[in-house]
Amino acid sequence: MIHVDDLTKIFGPNPDAALCMLDDGHGKDAIREATGHVLGVNGASFELERGEFFVIMGLSGSGKSTLLRCLNRLVPFTRGRVLVGPAGEQVDVGTASARELREIRTRRMSMVFQRFGLLPHRSVRDNVAYGLEIQGVARSEREARSEEVLEMVGLGGWGPSRTSELSGGMQQRVGLARAIATDAEVLLMDEPFSALDPLIKMQMQDEMIRLQRQLGRTIVFITHDLDEALRLGDRIAIMDDGTIVQIGSPERIITEPGTAYVADFVEHADPTHVITARTVAVDLDHERVGVARRVGDVTFHSHVAQSDVEIGVDRDGRVVEVVADGARARIEALDRVLEEDAPAFRYRDRAVWVRGDATLRRLLDARTYVNLPVIVQDEDGRLIGLVTERELIHGIVEKRGHGVRSPAASASASAPRPLDVASVEPHAIGRHA
Amino acid sequence: MNAFLTTAIFDPIRIPLDRWIADFVNWLSFNYRPTFQAMKRPIEVILQGVDGLLQATPPIVFIALLALLAWRVAGPKVGLFTVVAMTLVGMMGLWTQTMTTLSMVLAAVLVCVVIGVPVGILAARSDRFAAGLRPVLDVMQTTPAFVYLVPVVMLFSIGTVAGVIATIIFALPPLVRLTNLGIRGVPDDVVEAAEAFGSSEREILFKVRMPLAMPTIMAGVNQTIMLALSMVVIAAMIGAAGLGVPVVEGLNALRIGVAGIGGVAIVLLAIVLDRITQAIGEGGRRGRS
Ligand SMILES: Nc1ncnc2c1ncn2[C@@H]1O[C@H](COP(=O)(O)OP(=O)(O)OP(=O)(O)O)[C@@H](O)[C@H]1O
Ligand SMILES: [Mg+2]
Repeated sequence: MIHVDDLTKIFGPNPDAALCMLDDGHGKDAIREATGHVLGVNGASFELERGEFFVIMGLSGSGKSTLLRCLNRLVPFTRGRVLVGPAGEQVDVGTASARELREIRTRRMSMVFQRFGLLPHRSVRDNVAYGLEIQGVARSEREARSEEVLEMVGLGGWGPSRTSELSGGMQQRVGLARAIATDAEVLLMDEPFSALDPLIKMQMQDEMIRLQRQLGRTIVFITHDLDEALRLGDRIAIMDDGTIVQIGSPERIITEPGTAYVADFVEHADPTHVITARTVAVDLDHERVGVARRVGDVTFHSHVAQSDVEIGVDRDGRVVEVVADGARARIEALDRVLEEDAPAFRYRDRAVWVRGDATLRRLLDARTYVNLPVIVQDEDGRLIGLVTERELIHGIVEKRGHGVRSPAASASASAPRPLDVASVEPHAIGRHA
Repeated sequence: MNAFLTTAIFDPIRIPLDRWIADFVNWLSFNYRPTFQAMKRPIEVILQGVDGLLQATPPIVFIALLALLAWRVAGPKVGLFTVVAMTLVGMMGLWTQTMTTLSMVLAAVLVCVVIGVPVGILAARSDRFAAGLRPVLDVMQTTPAFVYLVPVVMLFSIGTVAGVIATIIFALPPLVRLTNLGIRGVPDDVVEAAEAFGSSEREILFKVRMPLAMPTIMAGVNQTIMLALSMVVIAAMIGAAGLGVPVVEGLNALRIGVAGIGGVAIVLLAIVLDRITQAIGEGGRRGRS
């Protein structure tokens, strides 16, 4: 849907010298010192699928807004290519004529701004209808459409009001409605929720998730709020001094930060909503931790440190039996257990299983009611591994799977860790990998 | 002694600017008088149109309509004041002159808006144009009106139209300035948002900049009206009709009563127009905040 290739923006009247310096490997500060030009974005490349929620993060001044504004050429870029549109009918934003550019902005991409950017002399309804007005849609039709969209963002009935009568959160929803109303496939959002208080922010995030599911828009979303990024993003790009230093799923960004900068960035993230069972589960096939014995068609696996709990799988790898302390335990889905009105505290006669994409949060919930290791299965019910207390704690504290153990990792929690991405086990993969 | 020194120092380096100006204006009027006379035409047409309409309207109807307007935009107090003020003017025997003055003011303001708003918009779009325009506006605003009465008379001859032209020169600058200011003062984030939705330059001007600048532009219109009213007496000195006439006559003949009622009528008209235009501007501003 969006294809960005080597996108570079240098602010200033004469970017050529600065580009040369950039190509010679100089950084933002050196370029500014030598030429007085500011490096806004440096060689950004990425490809967004239709319906993807793409989050851009980074420190203040790292070039997030500039990158976003390059996508619809509100900021004309110095080098590189931006293609927008479904495969086959992509439009080159960089070379588009003034008319084509207006066409791209009216029909293909719409934008939500941190400072709302509403027209104060217009009613809420006419603000929402602004994009349609530019498209040339007839008055009655655009009024109907804006009422419909206002309804969608929870502002039904506010159409005739003035924007100044609305609270900040409501104004932001007007901005959102205005962007949605045009039916553009791509939504560009520059810190849309940063001005909102936590509760409204949460509501708006839920709304975004809902809207994206409902409408399938491709969204590029800037935020300073890591938890927001982790919550919303399918993928997250982290920027530093104009350069995208890492792009990956939330879980991957947290469990395998690519640079010390990223590691610093995610240091204080709450990993429990992001890291999945698949990542932390210990793989019993691994000869260092697994012990196996066969009884007929069933293979019983157990952890060396906990040999009194055995997981029996059939020939296809499906879990069929769990034995704890020599007695068979019931196997239940975690979701079922948690759904019970008052889940009984049973410890060693009940084993629960979860899918690989269950979050640490769920596993923590499970811990409350069961004591046996949680069984992690894939979509077909095949055993991926076990999660014991050890893996849980490791996941929360170290923000990684059990397989990653760099020497300094446990030494200091606050110092940026040396990174050892190569040691990540192949099954520790994120949602989108 | 001092006088001697002054001549001794300055006489050798004296510049005959007075002669240059005289020569220039003479040259202008000799060669281009027809052009300037032709420029009078549109103003004359506007003036006659407005004046004809105002004079033909029965005073009661006019007062009622103006009071209604005042009441709608500025509230009942101003509406009531309008009735009282305009009735007083009529009772002083100055109705016809007041209508003439009003039509002169309206004609002058109309021309000022037609010229001033576009020029102000251009100034807002180009820093260079604004920089070049600034001294011109300064000169227009600070040159005492009496100074340019002479060239105006030479080029446009005397009469009400010439008076309106002098008024336009004097009253135009604040409208240009405030239009420039208003357009420049439109927040960038709003303009950027409009751009992001694919608005053309034109759409941004008419759907965003102009409406948002409107309170400021209306403040300019208000100032232009006030300046135009302050020119009424001066315009009368070059033969313009209206409320300036009794004032000038009273001045010449030392008839304080005649000059007095002329002055009172001008003040009353000024207050009415000021309150109404201010309220229009603020109405826009209220919606804006
Ligand atoms: N119009 C401009 N002219 C010159 N430099 C600019 C301009 N806009 C941005 N910059 C510079 O480009 C760099 C990136 O700015 P940008 O606004 O993209 O940062 P950001 O990541 O969005 O920051 P924030 O989180 O504070 O919004 C900064 O160093 C900034 O000074
Ligand atoms: Mg920014």
